[in-house]
Amino acid sequence: MEGLIFMLPPFAACLTLIGIHGYFGIHVLKRGIIFIDIAMAQIAALGVTFAFIFKIDPESSWTYLLSLIFVLIAAYIFSTLRCKNPKICIEAIIGISYAVATTAAVILIDKAAGSDEHVKDMIIGSILWVKWADIIKSFVVYAIIGFIHYYFRDKFIPLSENYEQAIQKGVKVRLWDFIFYLTLGIVVMHSVRIGGILIVFSFLIIPSSISALFSNKWFPRILSGWIIGTIVSIIGLYLSWKFDVPSGPAVVLFLGLFLVITVIFRSIGKTKNIEGSVDGNIVTES
Amino acid sequence: MDTILFLAAPITACLLLSGILGYFGNHILSRGVIFVDIAVAQVAALGTMIGILLGANEGSLFSSLFSLGFTLIIVSAFAISKFKHKEFSQEVIIGIIYCMALAAAMVMVDMVTGGSNFIQKTLTGAILWVTWKDNLILFIIFSVILLLHMFFLKKFIKISQGERDSFPLSELRLLELVFYITFGIVVVQSVKIGGIFMVFMYLIGPAAMTHFITENWRKRFFLSWIFGFLGSLIGLFVSFKYSFSNGPTIVCTLGLMLFFIALFSKNPNKHTAQIIE
Repeated sequence: MEGLIFMLPPFAACLTLIGIHGYFGIHVLKRGIIFIDIAMAQIAALGVTFAFIFKIDPESSWTYLLSLIFVLIAAYIFSTLRCKNPKICIEAIIGISYAVATTAAVILIDKAAGSDEHVKDMIIGSILWVKWADIIKSFVVYAIIGFIHYYFRDKFIPLSENYEQAIQKGVKVRLWDFIFYLTLGIVVMHSVRIGGILIVFSFLIIPSSISALFSNKWFPRILSGWIIGTIVSIIGLYLSWKFDVPSGPAVVLFLGLFLVITVIFRSIGKTKNIEGSVDGNIVTES
Repeated sequence: MDTILFLAAPITACLLLSGILGYFGNHILSRGVIFVDIAVAQVAALGTMIGILLGANEGSLFSSLFSLGFTLIIVSAFAISKFKHKEFSQEVIIGIIYCMALAAAMVMVDMVTGGSNFIQKTLTGAILWVTWKDNLILFIIFSVILLLHMFFLKKFIKISQGERDSFPLSELRLLELVFYITFGIVVVQSVKIGGIFMVFMYLIGPAAMTHFITENWRKRFFLSWIFGFLGSLIGLFVSFKYSFSNGPTIVCTLGLMLFFIALFSKNPNKHTAQIIE
């Protein structure tokens, strides 16, 4: 019983994270910006590290502000990149931002703390020790952002589904791209503090990858992402507690396992369908 | 002068790494699978950890071979797979492999003595501690692989530029297998010395810089080598002078170099014609 009560905050944190990440993950997959989010997560973490070495209290508003500034700069760069440069240069710059942000953080940590524990924590987070206050704060922020995205869904969704069409329809693409990356950045900023980079990245791409195998519609995908995430979190957290391994990575591993099992079942299901139905799952839609 | 003598082995390692990785980097950049090397490097690190868990010593031959074998299986599966779902691109698969490998390594981090130290090392590398024996092994492996690539160079360049359809499927698969397996071997050997991010930066940074300068493949290979080595020298000396972590400083130096070249490059869109979407 005690174990279950102890696991309640991490479980609530997982649910909160998966909810918003499952939604944003669909955007990430549709836009093909798989690694932008890990770069943003690392940039947000760099902001936290900066504050850490200048001995600013991690809970204070200054830390929040510092991370937010880093995220804003990243959002601006990523949203303007889309307009000017060819795809390859964008990806290279994202990758390099990720590498530089990570190594800069490592240099800072090395100089300040001289220990490797902090690097590990940056990656796997500390979901086991999350406080209710943090969960509620994040939940409120995610709910507000979720509402914004719902209210302006006729701007955000076309932008990710079909960029050229959105321009033709007269959507102010630069503005809404920037708002998209800004809201994504704020979400990532909050998530990184609870779950670490690994969870942020995995929760963004794995649930939406799984839901992509079943449906192309937004609402079913958000819902199925959330349900799958809930089930996997329960299993992952329980097993991590039982076998005394880090919780965050354990949940991620199970998410991945779920994905692999789903893919295998779908492949078996497809080969049984002799005529091959055009349900658009493993075949490119025209 | 003493400093230079002391840094002779690391400088040589940088020379070797920037050469071979600069070469591969141009292919990787053209193919657009920028992050495959981070995934491969992470899988290699995971392989080493599993090896240690099974009882091998970290530097031992068994551990190296195990890590290499583990990596090659994953790399081969990636090379011959072709998932055609609209959103489930190769990049998604790379991302998933990367976070699974990282997660698995993190789950095991406390089971292995010195686990978090090892994780740190895979991120930052240990270039300062490279030995002449390490350099010799690198030189031999890289020379063999480079010779092999020279043999297939025209075909590899064609594939990297996206002209996959001009090859029959079986030949394409074979060439891809050779490419990614040699790539995997190079990454595994390099990560042991430089760490994941230095390897990534050596691959992408100089190649991206040369993309702003020339379209000629041979010029790009040599320029990447020169830029990579130059960045390493600056990075090494700066890290030595200010007592920064070496690998990360080299990474940041190369990043800054790219940033400046991108900023001051005259015509970033001049090369749009030959960059395949």
